[in-house]
Amino acid sequence: MMAGVGGGNDFQWCFSQVKGAIDEDVAEADIISTVEFNYSGELLATGDKGGRVVIFQREQESKNRLLSRGEYNVYSTFQSHEPEFDYLKSLEIEEKINKIRWLPQQNAAHFLLSANDKTIKLWKISERDKRAEGYNLKDEDGRLQDQFRITTLRVPVLMPMDLMVEASPRRIFANAHTYHINSISVNSDYETYLSADDLRINLWHLEITDRSFNIVDIKPANMEELTEVITAAECHPHQCNVFVYSSSKGTIRLCDMRAAALCDRHSKFFEEPEDPSSRSFFSEIISSISDVKFSHSGRYMMTRDYLSVKVWDLNMENRPVETYQVHEYLRSKLCSLYENDCIFDKFECCWNGSDSAIMTGSYNNFFRMFDRNTRRDITLEASRENSKPRAILKPRKVCTGGKRKKDEISVDSLDFNKKILHTAWHPKENVIAVAATNNLYIFQDKMN
Amino acid sequence: MEYKVEAHRIMSISLGKIYNSRVQRGGIKLHKNLLVSLVLRSARQVYLSDYYSGACLNAQSEREGNEWDITDSEREKFPPSATECDRVESTEEPQPNEQPEKEREYRENDDEVKSDQVDCTSTLQEQNQNSSLDSVAKVSSETPPESITEPKESPSDSAVAERDSTPEANGESHQPPKPHVCSNRKRSAEESESGDSPQKRTKVASSNAKEDEEAEEMDTSNVSNLITIFGSSFSGLLSKESAKPEAEAEDSGQICCDQMLKNLNPWSTAIVAF
Repeated sequence: MMAGVGGGNDFQWCFSQVKGAIDEDVAEADIISTVEFNYSGELLATGDKGGRVVIFQREQESKNRLLSRGEYNVYSTFQSHEPEFDYLKSLEIEEKINKIRWLPQQNAAHFLLSANDKTIKLWKISERDKRAEGYNLKDEDGRLQDQFRITTLRVPVLMPMDLMVEASPRRIFANAHTYHINSISVNSDYETYLSADDLRINLWHLEITDRSFNIVDIKPANMEELTEVITAAECHPHQCNVFVYSSSKGTIRLCDMRAAALCDRHSKFFEEPEDPSSRSFFSEIISSISDVKFSHSGRYMMTRDYLSVKVWDLNMENRPVETYQVHEYLRSKLCSLYENDCIFDKFECCWNGSDSAIMTGSYNNFFRMFDRNTRRDITLEASRENSKPRAILKPRKVCTGGKRKKDEISVDSLDFNKKILHTAWHPKENVIAVAATNNLYIFQDKMN
Repeated sequence: MEYKVEAHRIMSISLGKIYNSRVQRGGIKLHKNLLVSLVLRSARQVYLSDYYSGACLNAQSEREGNEWDITDSEREKFPPSATECDRVESTEEPQPNEQPEKEREYRENDDEVKSDQVDCTSTLQEQNQNSSLDSVAKVSSETPPESITEPKESPSDSAVAERDSTPEANGESHQPPKPHVCSNRKRSAEESESGDSPQKRTKVASSNAKEDEEAEEMDTSNVSNLITIFGSSFSGLLSKESAKPEAEAEDSGQICCDQMLKNLNPWSTAIVAF
């Protein structure tokens, strides 16, 4: 029994829910492109290639179902971004949602930022469950009444109504990125946030849409000298002056905004020396970092490149403190993966609430979890076949060569179209959301 | 030799990806294309490294013997600059002033140069007669030293490349495919803030060059041609490689680099267009 990842030896992951169409034919617009829990974990947002955002809300715990906590049900759905056309450059701007980031909740409404390639929008999601009735000047249909008809005066009364969840765009942050936005990150001051594209990072104030500060610019004077691009960026969870950004060369730069207005010079530079023995045509591609995430503590950060996940101590720049191989068996297949474009897949990674475990996706709808304390790892699969309520997920294993044992899958049988790029871990509990193409799987631990 | 076949295959695939990226929805993905160009460069280095290492000394003598047997069309497929792009090591700063001069020299000496390199580019010269291409050449002279200094290597490399690739090129006569690719490239895919004017020049150049084309498929010799041209871009990448002597190529490389400039433009502007 491969258990223990995520907390304790008795730990096991169980299927909870799956959202999305069962149909084999996947509409491209339905492909999930980002998944994010809010700060409390009560809400779970997904963005898709069609520019839509779907927010799920967790039900209050039910007394009837002791073995599982509340389920996530659709709370709000709205069209965040539409396809646009840049007439000046004659290029189409995809509506695909690249990133969603929640703002901490400060009142009854919820706020999130959603970004496509060029534009970031601040959405307010608010509930309306009461309606004023008994207006003097309007009748029930809302039509203005003839003033001469009014003979009495009454005070409108708030009456309950069916819950309505409204999403409205409160800010639109546009025209600040020439290249494709790959990251947004809310700062710990809750007033500013950063957005990063391939060559630049901008700092915004949440209230101000007509301007932003450019804080990193790695565009060379001559584009022919371009050697690396920015692949991800994130604000430090506690220090509002610190942020990091990763590059396509496998390096991470930590910058301090107090040092200069333009943070082109890093404060810290994280890079692991390359292993010369593993050099190949594709060494550079697989070293490109696809995601960077600070731990909740702010002491560590995690980076994902094509084959591995690395945990870095912010105090040590010359190498990561931990390296986890996600699917090392793919190293010998890099050429085929290059041909079918899989080598360009950008996997994300995430921490659990206590920073004791990390999770990332792979192919064949597999996802991997690593326990940092016990050094145990587990491979699980998100599939409809294992989707009985509270069914325990069986660990999966990929056979790398030689005799294939029962229940193992050989590398050549892996389905590279079924990729898990986006995963999210509840900030406080052992609940995870895994996006498998157009389906969203939610798994919980068996305990509780 | 297997690795050469593999390298060549990877180069073809890479060029195909770059070509296809221009028609993808959402515009050119800078990151992906950068990575593809890295692979392309690595593969090309492997592909051509064999030519350089063993054949450097032999090529000089062989060139004179074999060169004249190769048809014009074949020769121009493998401009001498083929391996020069590999050799951009440390930089290039010493040479900034030389490049524009070399180019001017080339244009002046079009009819005078008798070396086989010029023969290799005979078809290019035809193109160059077109006035629109002069503007393209101007663009190349404007490109900074890094991109221009690449073609400084021994022409023997290209000669070897030609020799080895002859079997593939047999029976084919066609223009360098680069203009074809450029003209097919959707202008809409560009993202560059500053690339507009080079793009326009390229478009003019490519549309004129296209008239001269006969074959339009991306076959292996086209691939090789594209590789040499494309490899000259992203010179910043190349500059990080280990230093190899450039001096040995300087004198004979003069003409080569001028030809390289001609080849350089459509692709360099394509990259700049990012």
